[in-house]
Amino acid sequence: MDNAQLISLSRQMALQRQMDVVANNLANLNTTGFKAESLLFEDYISPTAEDDLFAGADRDIHFTQDWSSLHDMGAGPIVSTGNQLDVAIEGDGFLVVQTAAGERYTRAGSLQIDASGALVDLNGNPVLSDLGPIRFEPSETSITVAKNGAILTNEGAKGALRIVEFDDPRALTRAGNNLFSGEGANRATATSLVQGALEQSNVSGVTEIANMIRVQRAYASMAQMMQRQDEVRRTAIQRLGSLNA
Amino acid sequence: MKALYIASTGMAAQERNVEVISNNIANMRTSGFKRQRVEFQDLLYQTYRRSGASTSDQGTQVPVGIEVGSGVRTAATPRIMSQGSVTQTEKDLDIAIRGEGFFMVQLPDGRTGYTRDGSFERDSSGLLVNVDGYQIMPGITIPENANSLSISADGVVQAYIGTDSAPTQLGQLQLARFVNKSGLESAGDNNFVETAASGSAQLGVPNTDGMGNVLQGYLESANVNPVTEIADLIAAQRAYEMNARVISGADEMLQATSQMR
Repeated sequence: MDNAQLISLSRQMALQRQMDVVANNLANLNTTGFKAESLLFEDYISPTAEDDLFAGADRDIHFTQDWSSLHDMGAGPIVSTGNQLDVAIEGDGFLVVQTAAGERYTRAGSLQIDASGALVDLNGNPVLSDLGPIRFEPSETSITVAKNGAILTNEGAKGALRIVEFDDPRALTRAGNNLFSGEGANRATATSLVQGALEQSNVSGVTEIANMIRVQRAYASMAQMMQRQDEVRRTAIQRLGSLNA
Repeated sequence: MKALYIASTGMAAQERNVEVISNNIANMRTSGFKRQRVEFQDLLYQTYRRSGASTSDQGTQVPVGIEVGSGVRTAATPRIMSQGSVTQTEKDLDIAIRGEGFFMVQLPDGRTGYTRDGSFERDSSGLLVNVDGYQIMPGITIPENANSLSISADGVVQAYIGTDSAPTQLGQLQLARFVNKSGLESAGDNNFVETAASGSAQLGVPNTDGMGNVLQGYLESANVNPVTEIADLIAAQRAYEMNARVISGADEMLQATSQMR
């Protein structure tokens, strides 16, 4: 009889985690280049509690277990900003930034120039070209970024932004600050850049709210089921324990 | 349940977003104003199941792990330093910059302010000052009997003194530019001051070395586009509501738990 409650509990724990995922997606509704996260569940079959001696063999017990969180790598809407240092990425590619922990990958193309003239992301990490960091002279103006990442100013070509693609972008891990880390970066073949635009978050508010309501209701119904189970047990104890039985 | 705290970071971020948007709209008629934008970043992730961990003696691995984020933070409010539209005022001492560069203003605390607001005046001694009476650098004095003041595209200030038949050169306007102009600190009163992030000012004459040219009798309007600001405001407001909805949703889940007997 305990199993019913334990199974409900496993479901509730998974649902709480899913609620956290929904909350994180909605919190990042306006985060540039953010990719939505979703949880996948699988059942976990309890290996014990099998006894064929009973009439009708025991049925397997399936617990819920969250199994993986998937990045939804779908493209976010591209919004024009008119800022010459904003680049949106069309396709599955990523820009490469150099952090203290190594190379990281990002879809957030709101770039800046720091005091030394280097092209950096919002945390001051240098954005890499094929030949390392990109540096602008103080007198350089009218920066243009071509579709293939090539940067041109009034003083000539400055190299090209490095764009990489991954065979399996879902295997990337999130490093916070709009960055991803992972192995196996290949040179991009099917990705182009759009200057003066940014890729918005691909979180769909409507879907997330619908998910949230579903999670909430499932959680409540689990809670109710546990309560019913409790009542069943209480009734059993009362009936079986009474002297008249 | 982290959802409560995650959603609260989302609400705080949208609140900041609305603040910046309202400041942009409040300054949509401020000459030389440059609008700001809010940039968000996701916070650290908590890994419940690490991808790449082995799942059996046969060397199979977890292909994709479980990562749950912890919300959002405001990373930066960069200024968009794009050119604002230039409007005619027909006033002698209104000067707009087309292209790169800032006017320099001598602030009372000794620092130099950098501004795109070119609505200048003459003070009692004839010095060229901004609307707060702070001197424009380098100092240009316009004599009392000067008339037909003209400022050329490369910043040369000329006037006819008294009944002279040839114009007299009174001074040369200078502009300053920065490697990272988005890194300037806003000092209020339409002025910016230099920071370690902006780099030091590079001085120059208008129309040379990539500096913009100046336009007499015009002012640069704010580069705020009211339509996009209102659209952003609506998006921010809805995002705020959705985050609030998550808080009440998480609350109901906790309530369901606490009401179990």
